[in-house]
Amino acid sequence: METPFEALRGTGVPVEPAAPGDAPRWVAYPGTTAEVAALMRVSAEHDLAVVPSGAGTKLAWGNPPERCDLLLRTGRLTSLEHSPGDLVVRVSAGLPVGTLASFPGVAQELALDDPLGAGTVGGTLATAVAGPRRFRYGTARDLLIGVTVVLADGTVATSGGRVVKNVAGYDLGKLLCGSYGTLGVVTEAVFRLHPVAPERRWITVEPDSLAALDGLVAALAASQAEPSAVEVDWPGTGSAPVVAALVEGTAAGERAAAVRELAGGHPARVRDEAPGWWNTLPGDPGGVLCELRLPPAEVGRTLREVTACGPVRVRGSAASGVLWAAPPPDVLPAFVSAVRDRLGGRLVVLAAPYDAIEGIDRWGPVGALPLMRRVKERFDPDRRLSPGRFAGGI
Amino acid sequence: MDPELIGDCVHCGFCLPTCPTYVLWGEEMDSPRGRIHLMGQHVGGTPLTPEMAGHFDACLGCMACVTACPSGVRYDRLIEQTRAEVERAHRRPLQERALRALVFRLFPYPRRLRAMRLPLRLTEGARRRLAPRLERISPSLAAMAELAPPVPARVRLPRRVRAVGRRRATVGMLTGCVQGAFFPQVNAATARVLAMEGCEVVIPPAQGCCGALSLHSGLPEQAVRLAERTLATFERAGVDTVVVNAAGCGSTMKEYGDLLGEDRAQNIRVVDLSEYLAEIGPVATRHPLPVTVAYHDACHLAHAQGIRAQPRALLSAVPGLRLVEIAESSICCGSAGTYNLLQPEAARDLGDRKAERVLATGADLLVSANPGCTLQIGSAVRRRGAGPIPVAHVAQVLDASLRGLDRAW
Amino acid sequence: MPDTALDEPVRRFLEILGPGSVITDPVRLRTYECDGLTHHRTSPGVVVLPETAEQVAAIVRVCARHGVPFVARGAGTGLSGGALPRTDGVLVVTSRMRRILSIDLPNRLAVVEPGVTNLAITEAVREQGYYYAPDPSSQQVCSIGGNVAENSGGAHCLKYGFTVNHVLALEIVTPDGDLVELSHTDPGYDLLGAFVGSEGTLGITTKVTVRLTRAPQAVTTLLAAFDDVESGGRAVSAIIGGGILPAAIEMMDALAIEAAEAAVACSYPEGAGAVLIVELDGPSPEVAHQFAEVRRICEENGAFELRVAADPAERAAVWKGRKSAFAAVGRISPAYIVQDGVVPRTALPEVLADIERISGEHGIRVANVFHAGDGNLHPLVLFDDDEPGAAERAELVSGRILDLCVEHGGSITGEHGVGIDKSRYMTKMFSEDDLATMQLVRCAFDPEGLSNPGKVFPTPRLCGEAPGVRRGAHPLVESGQAEQF
Repeated sequence: METPFEALRGTGVPVEPAAPGDAPRWVAYPGTTAEVAALMRVSAEHDLAVVPSGAGTKLAWGNPPERCDLLLRTGRLTSLEHSPGDLVVRVSAGLPVGTLASFPGVAQELALDDPLGAGTVGGTLATAVAGPRRFRYGTARDLLIGVTVVLADGTVATSGGRVVKNVAGYDLGKLLCGSYGTLGVVTEAVFRLHPVAPERRWITVEPDSLAALDGLVAALAASQAEPSAVEVDWPGTGSAPVVAALVEGTAAGERAAAVRELAGGHPARVRDEAPGWWNTLPGDPGGVLCELRLPPAEVGRTLREVTACGPVRVRGSAASGVLWAAPPPDVLPAFVSAVRDRLGGRLVVLAAPYDAIEGIDRWGPVGALPLMRRVKERFDPDRRLSPGRFAGGI
Repeated sequence: MDPELIGDCVHCGFCLPTCPTYVLWGEEMDSPRGRIHLMGQHVGGTPLTPEMAGHFDACLGCMACVTACPSGVRYDRLIEQTRAEVERAHRRPLQERALRALVFRLFPYPRRLRAMRLPLRLTEGARRRLAPRLERISPSLAAMAELAPPVPARVRLPRRVRAVGRRRATVGMLTGCVQGAFFPQVNAATARVLAMEGCEVVIPPAQGCCGALSLHSGLPEQAVRLAERTLATFERAGVDTVVVNAAGCGSTMKEYGDLLGEDRAQNIRVVDLSEYLAEIGPVATRHPLPVTVAYHDACHLAHAQGIRAQPRALLSAVPGLRLVEIAESSICCGSAGTYNLLQPEAARDLGDRKAERVLATGADLLVSANPGCTLQIGSAVRRRGAGPIPVAHVAQVLDASLRGLDRAW
Repeated sequence: MPDTALDEPVRRFLEILGPGSVITDPVRLRTYECDGLTHHRTSPGVVVLPETAEQVAAIVRVCARHGVPFVARGAGTGLSGGALPRTDGVLVVTSRMRRILSIDLPNRLAVVEPGVTNLAITEAVREQGYYYAPDPSSQQVCSIGGNVAENSGGAHCLKYGFTVNHVLALEIVTPDGDLVELSHTDPGYDLLGAFVGSEGTLGITTKVTVRLTRAPQAVTTLLAAFDDVESGGRAVSAIIGGGILPAAIEMMDALAIEAAEAAVACSYPEGAGAVLIVELDGPSPEVAHQFAEVRRICEENGAFELRVAADPAERAAVWKGRKSAFAAVGRISPAYIVQDGVVPRTALPEVLADIERISGEHGIRVANVFHAGDGNLHPLVLFDDDEPGAAERAELVSGRILDLCVEHGGSITGEHGVGIDKSRYMTKMFSEDDLATMQLVRCAFDPEGLSNPGKVFPTPRLCGEAPGVRRGAHPLVESGQAEQF
């Protein structure tokens, strides 16, 4: 009888034993969708639990998988096919999102910011992470027009296609956004692109208090100068927030001036460069990182309310109501309870040291969890893909 | 029912939101698309069931769907043919038959209608006491009593009104049945406005009904008889243009060609008052009227005759007058000829809906170019218990402005 | 006559809704036999008209208990037969669920019932300077619930995206009768995104939270007339290639223009072989700059007349011809098929030439109206239904056009949906494995296959045993009409 290791090697894909002390037993480096499918078939035969991983920037997000026999690294999935006339790009999952920010010879880009810098296409889809310009362009799910996925049993499926407008069949791509590697391994994605804005301006406003925040953010977001992003950065208790809006396109200078007029007397200036904190996550690597979802008009109130918990650094897309928060580990329980119970907001603890997360429901209540569980049961009945990484044992 | 006309409908549904009964009930069978489907079923051999007849009867004939239809379906023709078919093939319950007979023996005859004003002349208090009892006997009679406005003083119109200043045209004027009986002051205002704008106005005293009510209720023979008489009256009076101030009458008279034959109808041109005034342009001086006016689109003006801009333009041209729009302006008020008498519940719901939107404008005055609408909305406003909003005809507003009065409604 | 298997469900519906909201009269039922696509017709077993989400849930629970299929219908304007009823089933019509429940301008959202029309949302917030962005041509009549089912687009989706990009949350009734909220704030699988566009096969929408979009500061609409479709197409490529993303770019060919003139007298430039409508919106300085660019590009590519609409009335005049085009071809042809396919924009010239060739080969005229900016074709295949064989040839031409779309890497539907009409084309675009994977989603939501069965997917597939319950072989499997999955 062939051992699982021999069987995995038998696919022809580079597979090696994991470093001693690592959770997985083996690490595989497939270079094509077919190779991923071959690995998944072998894994199915040998009941191996598989965890897909890109650059690993968000591998610590979510619950640790209950088991992991094979770590499937997508780093060799790097093909790219750009159709400039159609404003679409087809890419393999292992490419960093950042490589799609520019293309040789034509001013086009994937309008998707990656706050982690090095995240891959696959990881960005799996975690549904996005940056400031989500306000205008949406997140990966809004820019994704086609996807190829390998299921737990090795089935290769595609949905969508190469055209932006397409309503044929279910949109599996959307389903996979935020799936944390629990439904399948995304190997290819097709994105719609946007023309690169010829000019960009950032308008920063420094309101003197959190109380002024909501009115300010609402005014910027509603501006007919059409900012692409309205972000907030709050260093925590005792300090004042900074709001920054991005205007891009033609006549950006003129429009930025119009946006600055909305500052309502607070110190404001227009700059050619993004503030240093733009499109970055708060807190330290290895520390606590939470994602908050709340109505945009309640951002200021929320920050005022959580002040009592202790020092919490908050940053994010105020106009979209999506914020990152980095409370110190000891403040986490109070912070989680304040946001969820007192403010009725949604909070997910994306990453936290093991001892800090003890006793905390990382994902919080998810209304559609029973339906998600049913989807998981259909896609991965044996629970072999990143088992337990998502809420409710999914 | 012409299968070709039925076949023109591509089932796109654009008529749905414009149909008052669909707006009320949200049922396919009570939309133009559904009714055309029912007509198709009947043409295809399905007998005319009471249910089917009920859905046809529920149609107000407001023609909003005709305006909305991108395929040019002649729903107006279709429903007319269908109503005639319903009268032929469907036997109504006794009480319904009696009521319809009463309505059609009363309304198209101005003299009978005038005689009816007396018993309807009830005080508000009497009206309230009587209402529940009437409601029990017949919701239609209750509706009739509720609709009737206070009876105005009789206005006697001369046979001929001379033009003020240089005569620019000679026109005939239709006095109408309901208009003449309940709103003689509108006719007087119409004649004065036309005269002040330089028209000699000929008003034959022996005018009858134009045939509109009969035509819209599936009684084409009666309609033809009345139309023929009306045409002859104006021909004898020696005019070639007839100005009409009631939307329902105007839309029917414009279709005399279809009813009597193009040759028979070609000697007389029928125009709506607003349409005509916009066409000849103003000569008389407009005096300021500081008033906020909500203009109500009568279906037979807006949908059947396509006249929306002219009355608005005439009103807006009055100095000091502020014109406001009513939400859902293209939805019928529920009057629709005899509809509020024959389908009182639906008409009441539509009237309430319209009254709510009219009151929401905060206007001082509601202007409507159709006597039926005026009665209907007036009674719906009274029913809401809101402070009554005065209702006037475009002619009355212009009359006031031209004569420099504060108000004339 | 209603199926006797429906007797008990109908009794329950009467208890839940009362007699005024349950239709069983055969003459009345027949008026629901088709939606906007009339060549598929089936009279429903029973029609119910619920007014609340709880009533919808109760109805679906009755269906689930009795194994009765159900189909949801909004305004009945769909063009793929997605709301085609079943004789053995229940048609759940949402036309009485038409309240706008709340409008929240500070958070730029509105919560509405599924029967509210697309345009009613915009009308409710227009005065405050907002609107609901997706604008299907039927927006004054189509319901938002139907938009969710079909993931409707519209002329302006080139810039603003589709329904799925503007729906923030849904309340749905699952095929087993549970009320569930799917929200964009939920972590985990994007079930909201998967549900939008699932054509009623995953459940019934009972409440929709939509994003409201700030009205643009400036809107400019340009009508450009070209000698032929090719030069119009070149202008489109040059505009997109120039880094401009207009709100809409629409093209009509000579035959489509002829029809529109006949219907609404839109007075497009005489002698035009193609007209292009380009609408730019956004901040005034940007629109002004882009307008100059677009104008230059059109002129360089041979536009012989340019008209600019600056105010809403002029804009309406320009759009009038385009928006009436579908219904208008009825004026130049006794019968026609509205097709909906997508090709990559760069393939447009080739595909249009191919369509012309196919049209010639079969002696069937094709008028072209399309969203040129995103390669979404709406060929109108014209025929005379009195002419023997013409309908079949038109059907053939229509199908060949879809083949062309698939061959060029496009899609068999850009916005009308698959419905009943195109389910047989799904295998041309997707592999067995692709379809089987989509079926997994279906089975997760609707293991019994009761929610709008027979739509979207080519052959009825069953979901095998629902977890925990073991059953005998399904009669459809035994009779060879379906395969177990």
